[in-house]
Amino acid sequence: MDMLLDPAFLASVPRFVVPVLLAALGGALCERAGVFNIALEGFVLVGAFAAVAGSWLGESALLGIVFACLAGAAMGLVFAEFSVRRGGDAIVTSVALNLLAIGLTTYLLRALFGVTGAFRDARIDGLGTLDLPILAGWPVLGPLLSGQSPLLLVAVLTALLLHLGLARHRLGLRLRAAGEAPAALVAGGVSVRRVRTGALVACGVLCGLAGAQLSISNVNLFVENMSAGRGWIAVVAVLLTRGRPLPLLGVAILFGTADSLSVRIQGLGLPQQATDALPYLVTLVALVVASVWRLRRSAPGAAS
Amino acid sequence: MKAAGSGLDKGLGPVVRTIAAWSGVALPLALIGWGLIALAGAPLGEAIDGFLRGAFGGRRNAYLLTTLSRAGLIIGMAMAAWLSFRAGLFNIGGEGQLVLGGLSAALVAIHAPGPAPVAIALAFAAGMAAGAAWAMLAGVLELAAGVPLLIGSLLLNYPASFFASWVVGHPFRDVASGLPQTVLLPAERWLPNFSGTRLDVGVAFIAVVTVLVIVYGATTTHGLRARLNGQAPAFARASGLAVRRLSLQTLAASGALAGFVGALAVLGLHHRYSDGMLVQPLYAWTGIVAVLLVGLVPWAVPLAGFFFAALATGAAGMERTAAVPREIALILQACVILFVAGRTARSVPGARRDDPGS
Amino acid sequence: MSSERDARAGEPLHAALSDVTVRFGGQVAVDALSLHFEPGQVHAIIGENGAGKSTAVNVLFGLVAPDEGEVRIDGMARRFRSPHAAIQAGLGMVHQHFTLVEDMSVLENVVLCAEPDAGAGLVDFQAARAVLDRLAAEHGIMVEADARVRDLPFGARQNVEIVKALYRDARLLVLDEPTAVLTPRESEALFAMLRRLRDAGRTIVLITHKLDEVLAISDRVSVLRKGRLISSRRLDAGATVEDSAAGGRAGLRDVLAREIVGGDLPAPLRRAERAPGEIVLRAQAVRRREGAMTVGPLDLTLRGGEILAVAGVAGNGQGALVRALVGLDRQASPGPDASRGRIELAGVDVASVDVAGRRALGLCYVPEDRRHTGLALDASVAENASVARLDAPPLVRGPFLVRRAMRAFAAGLIERYRIAARGPRARAGTLSGGNQQKLVVARELELGGVVTIAENPTWGVDIGAIAAVHRELMAMRDDGRAILLVSSELDEVLALADRTLVMSGGHFVAEFARGEATRESLGRAMTGGAASARGSDVVGGLAA
Repeated sequence: MDMLLDPAFLASVPRFVVPVLLAALGGALCERAGVFNIALEGFVLVGAFAAVAGSWLGESALLGIVFACLAGAAMGLVFAEFSVRRGGDAIVTSVALNLLAIGLTTYLLRALFGVTGAFRDARIDGLGTLDLPILAGWPVLGPLLSGQSPLLLVAVLTALLLHLGLARHRLGLRLRAAGEAPAALVAGGVSVRRVRTGALVACGVLCGLAGAQLSISNVNLFVENMSAGRGWIAVVAVLLTRGRPLPLLGVAILFGTADSLSVRIQGLGLPQQATDALPYLVTLVALVVASVWRLRRSAPGAAS
Repeated sequence: MKAAGSGLDKGLGPVVRTIAAWSGVALPLALIGWGLIALAGAPLGEAIDGFLRGAFGGRRNAYLLTTLSRAGLIIGMAMAAWLSFRAGLFNIGGEGQLVLGGLSAALVAIHAPGPAPVAIALAFAAGMAAGAAWAMLAGVLELAAGVPLLIGSLLLNYPASFFASWVVGHPFRDVASGLPQTVLLPAERWLPNFSGTRLDVGVAFIAVVTVLVIVYGATTTHGLRARLNGQAPAFARASGLAVRRLSLQTLAASGALAGFVGALAVLGLHHRYSDGMLVQPLYAWTGIVAVLLVGLVPWAVPLAGFFFAALATGAAGMERTAAVPREIALILQACVILFVAGRTARSVPGARRDDPGS
Repeated sequence: MSSERDARAGEPLHAALSDVTVRFGGQVAVDALSLHFEPGQVHAIIGENGAGKSTAVNVLFGLVAPDEGEVRIDGMARRFRSPHAAIQAGLGMVHQHFTLVEDMSVLENVVLCAEPDAGAGLVDFQAARAVLDRLAAEHGIMVEADARVRDLPFGARQNVEIVKALYRDARLLVLDEPTAVLTPRESEALFAMLRRLRDAGRTIVLITHKLDEVLAISDRVSVLRKGRLISSRRLDAGATVEDSAAGGRAGLRDVLAREIVGGDLPAPLRRAERAPGEIVLRAQAVRRREGAMTVGPLDLTLRGGEILAVAGVAGNGQGALVRALVGLDRQASPGPDASRGRIELAGVDVASVDVAGRRALGLCYVPEDRRHTGLALDASVAENASVARLDAPPLVRGPFLVRRAMRAFAAGLIERYRIAARGPRARAGTLSGGNQQKLVVARELELGGVVTIAENPTWGVDIGAIAAVHRELMAMRDDGRAILLVSSELDEVLALADRTLVMSGGHFVAEFARGEATRESLGRAMTGGAASARGSDVVGGLAA
């Protein structure tokens, strides 16, 4: 238990929360807009690669961020083109894009950088950290919030913005309508396609940032299949919360903590594979618990 | 909106439209392929030559046989996915079922006592049982705990892989080889090859199984009921079909087939189980996309499977001769799916969301 | 963009369809149709299902482009490329299926896509509320701005749709089958509102197939049949249907009915005199939930050789009752649960019996939703017809289907019930609505079950098919089988039922024997006004 409050552990938690949270927020936008996007894993992977490429190219983490956002947006546009515009099934499109991401990143790793497996280089500029001097001294919040990647702030702010925007902003209303009653938008003269495309592009950008967190903040390199399931965990988070930003924040923190824990307890003598599997098992358990809880809450005599 | 009639609807129309449609897929793909090859700095002619030889040529057709062998595994996984998808079951856990099936088969084939045919049969049985159980677990998670099958089956892939990785990394490791893999199967327990070739009879097994599965779908009561359950679940319930039993049985069959494929890969191709050997080539995912590509039309699945297998081995050849990374195959594969899926909306019955967006 | 709207707000709007023809594939949906819609008038367009009413109005609204002819607004030809353009020109439409976002509040729904800007894209809800208040004062339409649409009854939802249109300064308002889901009381409130709007100078267009409503509210009636205009008349305001002094009004009703059908109305069904037989279905204290509503406790008994109707507006618990009887709502862990009540089918307690088991006991089911529950649209006619017969020969041999036998069986159904289909191999989805319904009815009736539950069996179906289905049901009843008819169509209930139960708010609120039920007494009962078994006039407040 004091492991959980150990400052070193606390400092490591956001490293795992940020990618899941960012990707999940992107997924939430799609979910609310009525796009069943389960290609988050691929989006994040592409973002991770682009971040390293950009950072290496300009020896600047900022360029890496820019590349990551652009790459993610591009993935979103591809999804929009084949699914929203041409009417392809969203699940099929997602599967294809996940595979595309694996293939493309590995291919470019070899074609552009001439390596396999992992790419390390001194030219890759890391993202650096953001110190919050006011908080730095606080017992729990200090290591948790200060000295972390700036993307943590971005992620939390995005969650809050999304929460407010969905309720109060014109775009938020239309996004919700696109997901729940597209006919209402059609009658209102707003293109459902455009709304969904916008959601996909924004999702791409957020997932790109998630990838950047993985590749130029948590570490300074790119490894094949770097997203390692974070995208799928984000998908589960979106499903659990039905894309509502504030619960999503909570769930992402839960999953991120489990992820971080699994790394921590590796030192305790369990085989590495067990700790690798832990985040997936945690998400499965969370899904079961949530479903059972939901079933119990609904009135007796509900359909089986 | 109004359906607009046009001149293309009559006469040669359908032919022209089909050609136009496939050109709409082939041309962008060719462009993408060319772009990727250029990016790798490889000469185009050598690359294409390497591709063709890698897929179909080789000394004594060695590469063609590799393509066939690989196609067999992909087709097997595709038919496993087909069984599930046509019944409205979004089981994308083929990878986990494949891995556990292969692992179980390997362990049984190595350690089971008795004469070789018995051991081989037991190995297949073990593989099928493991695959079926893992698939049914995802089904139970949905029925009892409300976890959507899509997510549950997918999430189960990971623990399965990790578990297999641990098993061949620790308790059942072939220490002498220093690699995370089992020992080689005893030679008499290998599946025989077609005489005079290096191709194991596994391909024939797959062919037989594919035919059986297609016949099942078209001619049996269970096959019809499963299909109706997938196409019209409310109708199935109101008609009194045993929806849950059908779902679990179909999942079991799908998982068993995946396990069978895993056993085949172990007994026929690699003769041992090594970490990642079934995951790395993406057999399960390629099978899934092959089925999605042909829109669940069963007789077209072997064609798609062969196509993707050729793509993969051809790319390997292209890597050997022109140093083009072989992942180009995966990229092209994904692009094919994107382009074709974009033309056939709702290729999977009962897909979770209908995108009405217009 | 909204300048056109602002400039013309409040001015009277004349609209017209001028020689409009619409073809879908090879079919003519609307044939050289010309209609005028004048301000200060309620113009009703009537016709049976498939007559082209909705298509005609969709042309007006820009949802469908006409092949010939044009739309004129205030004398000028206009081509609307989208419903949005039509809205900008001052048209408003309330669809049969509401285009509301259920999870949003009324206020959010009303402003959607016309949101007042509070800066940076944030929505100025205050301004919107002010407009709503103004509309309420001007037109007497009350809506709860902050209620979630999901929680509103259908009548209130319809008001939201109307407010949406008025918010956008609609000067012409089209309502497509507005009373389909309303109780008689809600319908009256709607009509009062429409009269107010008309008197304020708006143009009202009403699409309906209910003659009585038309005569009650409209100033002009146009009859469509097979896409053509058959007649268009002005009506004098005032007189109700029962105005016996002016024999003309009742006569008008018959004239219109004949114009709708294009000939003589089908003869009223004859029923054999028979005493009801054994009890085949019994429900005791059955309790369920439908959304937020508690349904029950319900008691009913059904005997062989009778048609028991459960009448009521949709959404009053009928769905839960049917699901309970058919077995579609069994809990994951079956087992008798005292609080849910008891259902007996052919004398057997079916608490732990699933749908297949109940069908084996002799239950047949014609579901309301023929497209998703009654049929598998992607499967062939033969497969759809055979689905309940796959346990034993001749349609199966061992584990294998005998497709030839399946096709022969389906061909027999097609012929006997005169189903228009290309053949047993045709996809069920290629059949028209009426023929799909005939297929479902045919399949279920052929099973020869002792109890048939028919849920709105003629919804959305043309008159010929309605008559066919009613004939079949009556034949079954004469033959000694039992039918539970759940219907929201009063005419259907009055024509078929031996006994009638009225369902409202999840309870049976009235019971009528044959000959005792009239439109009025049924209608009153449906709003919860107490009506005793003898049908006497009792004016009461709303029941629970």
